[in-house]
Amino acid sequence: MPLDEFWDWLQNTDLAFAIGATWWFPLLESIHVIALALLVGSIVMVDLRLIGVTARSYALTRISRELVPWAWVGFVVATITGTGMFISRPGAYAANPAFQTKLVLLALAGLNVVAFHTRVMRGVEQWDTDALTPASAKLAGLISLILWIGVVLAGRWTGHLN
Amino acid sequence: MTDILASLSAVIAESSVRELVIYLLRNVPGFPPIIQTVHLLAIAAVMGSIVFINLKILGVAVPSQRLSEMIQRLLPWTWWALLLLAISGVVFIIARPDKYFFNPVFGIKFALLTPAVLFAWIIHRKNSSEPGYWEVSVLRRVSARAIAAVSMILWLGVMMAGRWIAYYDYLFWPD
Repeated sequence: MPLDEFWDWLQNTDLAFAIGATWWFPLLESIHVIALALLVGSIVMVDLRLIGVTARSYALTRISRELVPWAWVGFVVATITGTGMFISRPGAYAANPAFQTKLVLLALAGLNVVAFHTRVMRGVEQWDTDALTPASAKLAGLISLILWIGVVLAGRWTGHLN
Repeated sequence: MTDILASLSAVIAESSVRELVIYLLRNVPGFPPIIQTVHLLAIAAVMGSIVFINLKILGVAVPSQRLSEMIQRLLPWTWWALLLLAISGVVFIIARPDKYFFNPVFGIKFALLTPAVLFAWIIHRKNSSEPGYWEVSVLRRVSARAIAAVSMILWLGVMMAGRWIAYYDYLFWPD
């Protein structure tokens, strides 16, 4: 299979070897932890406001405008460090069911972001400052919360199967 | 100190709690990654509470939120997260006390964690007895910034060190 050959080639690059055989791997992994904590920590604050349990005195659009960029910083750093760890053993990760689950959950979280912007945020002016949010907002927040917890669990589980 | 840790390690090693924890870690499917995920999610809660309060004090995050209100709303999350971190962390310490008590990175982690928790407590305590405490004078604003800057380094150091406990032989070759 051509993909397997590609993983083999990738694993034998100097960069992949440097990561897999040195302190680069734990360094990337520890930065990955900080990045995921930033991502989850900031997105959960938005989710809880969406669900209507915390920060009710702030408009939803303010909370999301001030916190979502931090979540993106966390996401970008986690993606870079995660890719670095991935290329150290790409074939093994690609075949790892926990890693596959993680990618599916990440894709679902991405779809939830799209649905959030195209459905929930349209018409947000009508309830932006309300303490109680509409059912669609609560649902988007709850789905996000569950998916990100799942991403962390599947990510941590990946290390136990590799 | 080493003697105390050695005897504590020996007590844990012989206890029946350790047998239970090892049984759970080996026989409950997914027990290790689930407990580690609890630990990671609690780290995210620390990030989403005290770390963001520090970022707010430093003037780099959440400009429209009010500091005093943030401290009241978010710091309880820090304390509950620390409780969860302690519980989920102790599981692994009980299973392999020697791996932690005689690990220099574990020592570094707690040397950083202790002042970080102390600073969080001071920020919370002062603001609880006098809401807006950290904002009312130049001296207090400067003190808050100094505490926040040092705390940021400490918390990030704690998170880094936590992950490096498992890799301490990359840093300290056994004699």
